[in-house]
Amino acid sequence: MLADLLQNTLDGLAAGASYAPVALGFALIFGVLRRANLSYGPAIMLGCYAAALAHGRFPGLGLGALAAIALLAAVLAGAYVERLCFAPHRRGSAVAAMVASFALWMQLEEIATLMLPRHVVAFPALYEGEPLAIAGLVLRVEALAAIATAAAVCALLAAILYRSRFGLAVRALVAAPLAAELSGIRPARVFFLVFALASAIGGTAGFLVAATDAQITPMMGLWLTFKGLLATMLGGLGSLPGAVAGALVLGLVEAHAQWFLGPQLRDFVVYLLLFSLLAAAPRWMRTPSPS
Amino acid sequence: MDFYFGLIQLIGVHTLLGLSAYIVLLTGQVSLAQAAFYAIGAYVSGMLTVLAEWHIVPALAVGGLAGAAAACAVGFPALRVKGLMLVIATLAFGEGVRIFFFNFDYQIAKGDIKVGPLGGEGFRQIRFFPENGWTTFDVMLFIWLFVVLVMALLWWFDRSRYGAVLRAVGEDEVAAQSVGVNLTAVKVSAMTVGGAIAGIAGCLYAHYTTHIEHASFNVLVATFAIAYPIVGGLQSVFGTLAAVVFVQGFLVEGLRELGDWRNLLFGALIVLAMNLRPQGLFWRRGA
Repeated sequence: MLADLLQNTLDGLAAGASYAPVALGFALIFGVLRRANLSYGPAIMLGCYAAALAHGRFPGLGLGALAAIALLAAVLAGAYVERLCFAPHRRGSAVAAMVASFALWMQLEEIATLMLPRHVVAFPALYEGEPLAIAGLVLRVEALAAIATAAAVCALLAAILYRSRFGLAVRALVAAPLAAELSGIRPARVFFLVFALASAIGGTAGFLVAATDAQITPMMGLWLTFKGLLATMLGGLGSLPGAVAGALVLGLVEAHAQWFLGPQLRDFVVYLLLFSLLAAAPRWMRTPSPS
Repeated sequence: MDFYFGLIQLIGVHTLLGLSAYIVLLTGQVSLAQAAFYAIGAYVSGMLTVLAEWHIVPALAVGGLAGAAAACAVGFPALRVKGLMLVIATLAFGEGVRIFFFNFDYQIAKGDIKVGPLGGEGFRQIRFFPENGWTTFDVMLFIWLFVVLVMALLWWFDRSRYGAVLRAVGEDEVAAQSVGVNLTAVKVSAMTVGGAIAGIAGCLYAHYTTHIEHASFNVLVATFAIAYPIVGGLQSVFGTLAAVVFVQGFLVEGLRELGDWRNLLFGALIVLAMNLRPQGLFWRRGA
């Protein structure tokens, strides 16, 4: 019983670590633009499809090269979404931007199925050996990679936001948009770069998820958007440390709910938790704290 | 000819779905729970006509009431949050309801087959219309009777004090509250009316397709429900109707010839519409 609990906790933390960069990218876009990007996951999915296509055409390519392709394609797809859905609605209606990003989500899914028409597409596996066994607990090597990546992404993002001129511009725009604009910061350019950064983070996370499963489907886009949304929401809107915490909580809740209640009720438990939290609206969820 | 009648039925049901989101959007709230009320109306009324062998009209009334009750129950807690948080709260509710129906079994034997909802396989044999000899044309008229009734009701709301209050809340909550508008009453009542409309739409949908399953009520359907009034514009109920005709009639059916490329153009046209007319296709300044 105790071993099961510990194993579930470990699995949950590993899953949470793979959600964390996804949530960070989503929270970054929401924190800076104040717009929900439904096409966030599908853009990442398209990046992974580009890598799968390259893997099929040129089997000699290593994991590093494929990761670079996935990242680059995700950034390109993200830039496409930003130009079409968010740049035109920067001052206008948030709902119009959301509907436009919904339309692009359908478009990106269609592009993916046109690229590789089969429903499930093989993806190079990250690691083919046995999982590690430590004191009776099982830990997949992929989980270690996910945790390391999540930590690296957090550190890198913190360095960019708090140690670079670009990061200063982003924080200035969030804190005081008008003052930032008057002191020579160009919002359109910063928003575009934020989008590219978020897509790059998401592309890395998506590549890891796809390589861990060794396959991808077009449904991955919706899945990524949902995980990003749920984790961001659990941690408090627009807060970056909150997004990471939310991702870990999401992973833990899912792992335990799956063990005790089964896979069907797992998602139900997550939605119930989220709905009750939002309905009760604790203070940390109600006051968005951009950081 | 039946193909066109089928398309007109679909446009009618989707117009009702869009109108259920329209009245909620008037108060400035984006709800992704409309697909859940649609599902509740569909399952409740389907079970009444199939398992309890009711006539369609009382089943439709109960389906609408069930949608309204669910919307009212969600309205109170959900309306404590705004903006994206409301979107997610309603999304969580909608997905929760969908997963509930994914696991919901209630079958009874009828003759030599078993009927009723069966989890992931869905709810088959909702055959009230064929069993009672209704033709596709009759069903189409029946659906459009409700479309016309609901449109007339919402059109009348827009010309009444209630409609003015709805729009006032949508424009500026604080200003509306400061002139004595009861925000909770307005928002929850709009949500309840929207839930009733979605419940009726669900009942009509279940009976004309004869087969429903959890996937018919997923987040895609919920997003379409809010996309119709936003694409069409919130100025009048006709915007929603026009948007449904544009999307279902032109983009989905008209472009079917394009095959796989359809969704690409579909996405591009919606984005174009939103960029050229962010307030909706039929928005007129100062009207």
